[in-house]
Amino acid sequence: MASNRVAQPGFSEPESSNQSMVYEVLHGVTPPQPNFIEQHGSAYDFGELEQALMPKVFHGVGLGADGDRKRNCDAINFAAFLGVRPPTLEIFPSWPVRPQPPPTRANSQSAESTDSGSAQNTGPWKAADARFDQESPISTKGSDHSEHHPQGEMASDPTRAPSSTAPAPNSQFKPLEKKKVTASSSERDGSKQLDAKTLRRLAQNREAARKSRLRKKAYVQQLENSRIKLNQLEQELQRARSQGLFLAGGAGANLSSGAAIFDMEHARWLEEDQRHMSELRAGLHAHLPDGELRVIVDSCLGHYDEIFRLKSVAAKADVFHLYSGIWTTPAERCFLWMGGFRPSDLLKILVPHLEPLTEQQFLGICSLQQSSQQAEEALSQGLDSLQQALADTIAAGSLSQGPDVGNYMGQMAIALGKLANYEGFVRQADNLRQQTLHQLRRILTIRQAARCFLAIGEYYTRLRALSSLWSSRPREIMVPEAHPVATATELQMVQHTENHFTTF
Amino acid sequence: MHYSAESWETYVPAVQVAAAMVAGGGRGEALESVERLASRSAVVIFSVSSCCMCHAIKSLFCGMGVNPAVYELDEDPRGKEIEKALARLLGTTQPLPAVFIGGKLVGAMDRVMASHINGSLVPLLKQAGALWL
Repeated sequence: MASNRVAQPGFSEPESSNQSMVYEVLHGVTPPQPNFIEQHGSAYDFGELEQALMPKVFHGVGLGADGDRKRNCDAINFAAFLGVRPPTLEIFPSWPVRPQPPPTRANSQSAESTDSGSAQNTGPWKAADARFDQESPISTKGSDHSEHHPQGEMASDPTRAPSSTAPAPNSQFKPLEKKKVTASSSERDGSKQLDAKTLRRLAQNREAARKSRLRKKAYVQQLENSRIKLNQLEQELQRARSQGLFLAGGAGANLSSGAAIFDMEHARWLEEDQRHMSELRAGLHAHLPDGELRVIVDSCLGHYDEIFRLKSVAAKADVFHLYSGIWTTPAERCFLWMGGFRPSDLLKILVPHLEPLTEQQFLGICSLQQSSQQAEEALSQGLDSLQQALADTIAAGSLSQGPDVGNYMGQMAIALGKLANYEGFVRQADNLRQQTLHQLRRILTIRQAARCFLAIGEYYTRLRALSSLWSSRPREIMVPEAHPVATATELQMVQHTENHFTTF
Repeated sequence: MHYSAESWETYVPAVQVAAAMVAGGGRGEALESVERLASRSAVVIFSVSSCCMCHAIKSLFCGMGVNPAVYELDEDPRGKEIEKALARLLGTTQPLPAVFIGGKLVGAMDRVMASHINGSLVPLLKQAGALWL
């Protein structure tokens, strides 16, 4: 920026805001941010530009000696920006679009189109347009313009001040070049001194603006990434919750559709189970007559029938999901037998809580225990023979050779047939469980049966609570990126734990 | 895969089954053969040697101290027809293993299990003379 650019007499130090507005007008760029301190300095090189292009404006703002310093400032700013970028003359054709652009605007700041990209200019430019349009229409000619312009600007730019900051509500970009400009008469004198100082300041502000822009970009990027991550976490949490699983990691991704459906139904069944428990508790507490209690007990039994029905459907779709016990909680899985609870174990637990029993009832319970034990033993032996047969089939032939040898596909076909038998065993085991519960109902009185089903429900509720406590026990902090869902499900489990505690 | 025989079972030789079938005659007679065979012993199990559920049901009865008569239909030339007849009797496509006690049809595995749990199996066995107190 040459110091000799300051040419026009009577031109005051352009105010920063004025310059920015002028620049904006000229270049059709986005209005600058509020903090923008626009450039100045080399703007004085308007020479032939002003004469060639904006005579009206210059007349309007009253170039030349004028009592109105402000207006002169405006003019200077305007012209200054004209001169700042001689190479950008090509944008001037857009000038006619705006026959009477207000020469200066406090809150319109220009941004050089260098690294911002011209594409960014369109939006804010429209805002600038709006601001221009809001201005009182200014006739192209006449000295009255000098009145209108500044007044119009003043009205629209209440914040305009000889300070470096100029608010630009619609602007999203900082101009590339900023310059702190202080309008003072003293500065007007030594234009060369001013240039050096302001040049330095210009450069500094430019750098600051650039850094701010980059920081803002990085921040926005970070926000976007966090938002996406949050959505993903919420989805996984939703999936895990709906499946009633207490597993860390993407449990939902590994389930077949039949398994996922069963898990969802099971979760719903558990909620319904809690309701039956409270009904039983309330009914016993209220000492309801047998007739009413029977209704509650029978509905509870029907609820158990429902889970066995769901399990038989799931066994057809994905027997190994049931068999592995993934649908249960870890503590329940310790006692897993053929895809569910072992009836004789449950009876052993229940007998002390069913006291007092008549002798006949006691005998009935004992024989029930014995027959369920025998049935379980028979099924277990059958499953053992199935496992043996399966292992023999897979291991048939030479294991040291690859799969392309001999009767590989034939072997596989046989093995597939054997594997399908698992469904039958899981189904028979569920049948055993269902029959045991029905027999219990038959042996016991209504009150005893109510207490019995309540005890069963409470027992498994405690087992599930134990699983929650186990999963949420204090452990080493995991790296968040590695196991984001783990922490989320742990939080969920802690909440679930609290729910369990309320029933104790 | 061959299910290994254990001494606590009574296997009816295939010849005997075939003879009974021959005596019975055609398809409708497969049912009669079934009834004939079923009434021969106190407890009759129609099974398949390679079937593991059949193994389970055999274990169940032997564990109770019962000595059932087992007919392995896969080792029988007319086994297919007997299986079909049983399927019609039971109303299911997988009738095996099928259990008769005292000549009367008890059912397939789930029915046998249910009757054992609800306590009706043991009296039935006792009644048929397959079980003594």
